Amino acid sequence: MGHVVEVRALHKHYGRGTHALRGVDLTIEEGERFALLGPNGAGKSTLVRIVAGLSTRDSGETVVSGVDPGRQPRTLQWKVGVVPQENDLDPLETPESMVTFQCRLFGMNHRDARERCDELLTTFNLEPFRGKKASELSGGNKRRLHCALALVHRPRLLFLDEPTTGMDPEVRRSFWQVLLRANERDGTTLFLTTQYLEEAEQHTDSIALIHDGTILFRGSVRDFKGRVDKTGGVSLEESYLLWLKEHRRKEVACV
Amino acid sequence: MSNSGLLLVYRGARKLLRSPGTVVMGLASSLFFLIVYNAGIGGIGDLGAFGGAGYFAFLFPLGTVSLAMGSAAGAGQSLHADLNSGYFRRLFLSPVPRWAFAAAPIIADALATAITSTALIGVALIFGLPLRFGPSSFVSVVAISILWGLALSGISGGIMLRTGKPGGARMVTTAVFPLIFLSTTFLPRELIDSEWLLLVSRINPVTYILEAQRFVLGGTGSFADFATGFVLSGCLALAGTVYALTGTNKILV
Repeated sequence: MGHVVEVRALHKHYGRGTHALRGVDLTIEEGERFALLGPNGAGKSTLVRIVAGLSTRDSGETVVSGVDPGRQPRTLQWKVGVVPQENDLDPLETPESMVTFQCRLFGMNHRDARERCDELLTTFNLEPFRGKKASELSGGNKRRLHCALALVHRPRLLFLDEPTTGMDPEVRRSFWQVLLRANERDGTTLFLTTQYLEEAEQHTDSIALIHDGTILFRGSVRDFKGRVDKTGGVSLEESYLLWLKEHRRKEVACV
Repeated sequence: MSNSGLLLVYRGARKLLRSPGTVVMGLASSLFFLIVYNAGIGGIGDLGAFGGAGYFAFLFPLGTVSLAMGSAAGAGQSLHADLNSGYFRRLFLSPVPRWAFAAAPIIADALATAITSTALIGVALIFGLPLRFGPSSFVSVVAISILWGLALSGISGGIMLRTGKPGGARMVTTAVFPLIFLSTTFLPRELIDSEWLLLVSRINPVTYILEAQRFVLGGTGSFADFATGFVLSGCLALAGTVYALTGTNKILV
């Protein structure tokens, strides 16, 4: 299997003071279910934005599905899908019109676009809401619609930036069922950032921990848990909190 | 234009149709001013300085110029709404060329200008608007209106893309509005006494746009007046459009 994401010595500054990414190295295999974890402001969204072609890097190398996002952003968009953290739905449009329009943007003819729209609305249980304005949808349905929009062109790599925020447990479960099916059936690589660590533990097979713009761990969930607690009997969330506490203690000790 | 660009134009036109209030109000207010001014001071059209075509033919270009101004802020406001709603981010995640983001609302505005100026001419014909060269006059007036509209929409959109503020886009209408009064909108040059106003009217592009339309409507002035106004509005349209399209490089999502 090849690398679907290759990041080398990636740096990004915001303004004069903030060094958001400090030489990040990261590779992700095709078909992998990967989660990028870290506290707020650690650099997760910045990294996702750069590899998805939404933001530029200051230095370093980034190759996503064989494409440099900084140089060929339009080529990249055929290969990746992004479920953003923020809502980017036109409040006056309906799920049906948005999904169909997105399909047309990706070059489908009218008939194929309608068929793909029906398929996605059914998959994400949005069929009953197909004619409702986006402003009238619940938070969970909006998130599912974002995911449907990201999948219209059957991307090989799907970025999910805190995708289940605001979803109730039932909706979250069905949401994950769809994503895992895409991963297993089509080999879609999943690149997730989330604050719900039980979600990462349950649905992904590898993680990276980012803190202050630096990747401090890259490996399997089991390896991480074993590193923090030798018995490996604690949850990922407990392991993460223990690791974070220890890391901050060391930082203070260094100062 | 690429397929995705055409789709965005279609979306822009749909957005305008979804809230036609601004366009309809612009048309109604242009008609109102034309009718009221003509009723109030139309009698002065008998003076020789008006060229014998009547005051309504002389005044009519005010309607198309103000109509285009009314819809000029539309492109900027549409771009602002898309930027604010996060819609641009989704476009960034689609294989859509960047220039199409700005081109779409500008072209949609131009389509609206074409439709409303056609409607305005249609109503004005009932009130006796002459078309000196028949259908060619009609096409020329609509074309000049579209070019003037493109210029203003382009500036409005370009300012919005560079500042991110809808106020900047609306500023175009505010800034251009006085140009109507600093021109030969109500009186020909021969009847303007003030030296400074004459000077300003000579450097005011609106003057040439009005005179170009007057030639094809009432036959006043010369073909050179028409050519000057047409070429000038074309240059302004090109400049405005380029200003907006280059602004798409400034978009941060």
